[in-house]
Amino acid sequence: MERISALLQKEWRESLRNKMVLFGVAVLPLILVGSSIYMMTVGAEVDDPIGEIVLFNTTLMYFLLLPAIIPLAIAVYSIVGEKEQSTLEPLLATPLTDLELFLGKAVASVIPALVVNWVSFGIFLLATKLLVGGIPIQTLTAPWLAAIFGLSPLLALFSVGVTMLISSRASDARAAYQFSSFAILPALIPLIIYSTRQTLVDLRLVALQGGLLAVACAVILFFAVKVFRREQILTRWK
Amino acid sequence: MITADGLTRRFGERTAVDQLDLEIPRGEVFGFLGPNGAGKTTTVRMLSALIAPSAGRATVAGRRLGAENQAIRSCVGVLTETPGLYKRLSAIDNLVFFGRLQGVPNPRAAAERYLRLFGLWERRDDPAGSLSKGMRQKLAIARALLHEPEVVFLDEPTAGLDPEAAKSVRELIETLRSNERTIFLCTHNLAEADRLCDRIALFKTRLVTVGSPEALREERYGRKTVVRLAREAPGIERALDLPFVRGVESGDRELVVSLGDPATENPILVRRLVELGAEIQFVSEWRVSLEEMYLDLMEGENGAD
Repeated sequence: MERISALLQKEWRESLRNKMVLFGVAVLPLILVGSSIYMMTVGAEVDDPIGEIVLFNTTLMYFLLLPAIIPLAIAVYSIVGEKEQSTLEPLLATPLTDLELFLGKAVASVIPALVVNWVSFGIFLLATKLLVGGIPIQTLTAPWLAAIFGLSPLLALFSVGVTMLISSRASDARAAYQFSSFAILPALIPLIIYSTRQTLVDLRLVALQGGLLAVACAVILFFAVKVFRREQILTRWK
Repeated sequence: MITADGLTRRFGERTAVDQLDLEIPRGEVFGFLGPNGAGKTTTVRMLSALIAPSAGRATVAGRRLGAENQAIRSCVGVLTETPGLYKRLSAIDNLVFFGRLQGVPNPRAAAERYLRLFGLWERRDDPAGSLSKGMRQKLAIARALLHEPEVVFLDEPTAGLDPEAAKSVRELIETLRSNERTIFLCTHNLAEADRLCDRIALFKTRLVTVGSPEALREERYGRKTVVRLAREAPGIERALDLPFVRGVESGDRELVVSLGDPATENPILVRRLVELGAEIQFVSEWRVSLEEMYLDLMEGENGAD
């Protein structure tokens, strides 16, 4: 645990000193929270109940997008940064195991993503309470809360797994970032479904998405862990 | 301290290291010399349990390669070809991080000790990326030593350093030797290897030769004494009738005499030359530089290929 903890702290220290990572982690939540609050204030004045639901659903979906997008910036730089600084070999020359290295890198990306997402959600709730008296109870239902708090970790994990796989093959952070962007697809698909169905989110949909995501995470993490072998990292990562 | 028996590493069709046999005792500074692409880095990576050999066996600090890899990584320190520091982290944070990974009981205290030892304490809070090349190299060496490893692998420790920084690194290596650490030194700096290493190995995919620089010189070129004369002495080499003289080459007021044991034979040689009328200015040992010997041996190796 000490080695994972050391790696986690190192990753976070480095991220806090990396403007590109900070920008990636901070700017998008600010934009999405701002636009969510704006949409809630607009939605509160809409007479059409279906239109209102679609608007509110779309707003809440942002909090499923954030946990998929935020880890991209951290995970990409966490791996490509090691390559750029030629730190992989000294790191691998320590007693750190392959699994500890993978876990340290993955958790270092997932935790900030969840914290930022849930803090953003809290700010959004507080702002809507102050501005429009809160989100209508028929919109912010238990399934939505289950989605935001239950699916977020899976979305973040999936995103990190995809990013690690892609970053292991890329030597340029921008290229890795672009290719890793498709990791947000699992968050986008429900957005399209919920928006077009013009209906309330129910637990069946959340459970189905959770189940599919869990399988996808297992597959992606299986391959990502396979890539995280000391010998592969040293001889194949360029 | 390090043993290798038939250690081999292949990458697909290409053999990077072929049947390497080594035995390096505790406290020895062992120079591993060879051209670029000879397989030196692959050897270090195998011996530091970073990559697995394709064949053969090895032990490092009594731990078996393959079966006790994590234990090997705990007791070796590795200085890679590039310093490999986290540029955004401070000098002390770099060391503390690696100290924690290595299980150093008080990593901050160990980091402080080494930063002071290398004269980097005043710069401890500066990002590693802002340090000079020499300072970064010292910091990387400090990182390799932080957990007091029994075996230290140093890959080109003075490459790119200014003479002053290179000197301080060489002094440090000598200090490590006196602390009974085993040092495996990969270098292209042959003068440095000559000065620091107890033994050297010339390596090009396979071991070309191994021994102390002196023993290798003697084995290949014999021992010779150079006698510098004040005046020409024509025909003196033919008159030199001592039984232990194995050969004489003469040049411009200079004789190069091949001997078996210069320590006992030189006084007799000098006496005889004086008797023959030679006016001797200087007597010195004929010494082939390690560079000449290296090029000579590698040329032979290229010919063998």
